[in-house]
Amino acid sequence: MLWRAAAAVFLAVLATLREGGEPPDAALVARLATKDVRAFESIYDRHSRAIYSLVYRILQQAATAEEVVQDIFLQLWRNAASYEPSRGPFLPWLLTLARNRALDCLRLRSEQQRRREMQTELPETLPAVITAPDYEARLDEQQVAGRVRALMGALAPQQRRAIELAYFEEMSHSEIASALQEPLGTVKSWIRNGLLHLKEGLQATS
Amino acid sequence: MNGCEQYRDLYEAAALGALDPAERAAFDAHLATGCATCARAMEEARWLVTQLAYLAPDARPSPMLKARLVQTVRAEARLPARASTLFWMWAGVAALILLSLYSAWQVQRLRRDLADLQAQSTATGGQRARLERERADAQRTALILADPSSVQVAMPQTAQKDAPPMRAYWNTRLGIVVAGVRIPLPASQRTLELWLVPKAPDGKPVPAGYVRPQDDGTFVLLVANPAAPLAATKALAVTDEPEGGSSQPTTAPRWLGFLDLTRLGQLPQN
Repeated sequence: MLWRAAAAVFLAVLATLREGGEPPDAALVARLATKDVRAFESIYDRHSRAIYSLVYRILQQAATAEEVVQDIFLQLWRNAASYEPSRGPFLPWLLTLARNRALDCLRLRSEQQRRREMQTELPETLPAVITAPDYEARLDEQQVAGRVRALMGALAPQQRRAIELAYFEEMSHSEIASALQEPLGTVKSWIRNGLLHLKEGLQATS
Repeated sequence: MNGCEQYRDLYEAAALGALDPAERAAFDAHLATGCATCARAMEEARWLVTQLAYLAPDARPSPMLKARLVQTVRAEARLPARASTLFWMWAGVAALILLSLYSAWQVQRLRRDLADLQAQSTATGGQRARLERERADAQRTALILADPSSVQVAMPQTAQKDAPPMRAYWNTRLGIVVAGVRIPLPASQRTLELWLVPKAPDGKPVPAGYVRPQDDGTFVLLVANPAAPLAATKALAVTDEPEGGSSQPTTAPRWLGFLDLTRLGQLPQN
């Protein structure tokens, strides 16, 4: 157990030296296994803004969003092994985890409001395997963020709204069609074409 | 491709979680068949969907969040030291338990030793009491033999007059002593029993004790409290009886001695 952690830290340091810059996410996560507080701070400084923005967008309440973000980072600290590099790059994994936790919280809140009673915590499911495209490594996070906003901003407002309802509020095709009062087939096309537009745009950016 | 063309349009919506329940169930069932093409396409669609997170307006958590988190993780990072303290605490507890067990074992051992000593002491006490009894008997025997008032009774063998006799001394205060030298040993599991033969014509012999001579034929039998008085006794007899003695003679007397009636009138009555 100890030698595995030592090997992980050694490989992480080696990767940092090889890249000659900031340690990659996977290296920092590996150091969390040895309870490296500085590695934790680095991960937090690097990703807390994106995570908080996403969670806050879903929950729309700053205090609750901070609680969820705190839970996410503490879970990462206490169980760094829950992230396996073989299951995909770290940031998409963390964003998926954050989205799931925020949506769980949203569901729990709705359920509590409906039943007017406390509910037990929803079961945690770790993100499924994520495969990044080959060009992902060549993209800078800030660059990607700006490009995503630009590409999605180019869509028709209703099309963009449909995608946002699906992503941030976990609405189904039918629910979105009902909310936007649009035909179901139209909503399906909007979402699929919008995401293909995003995919091609990011590919072109790289 | 396992007929998965029909699912090609669903990858992004499935990654978003936007499929309606029926579509979702059908697609999940297809994925469960192990379709590698769809599985790979879903992995890529998931990555694409995560990029939508950047649509969220930029927001920053309060500095207090980081402060709270760092405080928590620093405290937890120090836990190994606390764990070490816990280890030594438990080691101390374990040592105390071992010491207690050792002490309990020692107490048990000392108790056993004490019980052995008490048993030895009891045995020694019993031996001492036996020796005391033997000493008292020897003293009483000596006094009976030395006391001039003791009545001497010669007890020849009834069958062979020249065979070794027995001799008895009856002291009305101290009892009867019967002794013999080179006395033939009775058979195995047999013994010699002394009887007081009463004067009364219809009286029955009264048992007065039994003895088995040593291998060289010597014995001394002390009867501290005869069951019949000297004045009422006509003779002393010894018969061969089963081990443990009999209540009445089962054989004819082998040694018989009559009391000297001429002296009885001078003796105190008991």
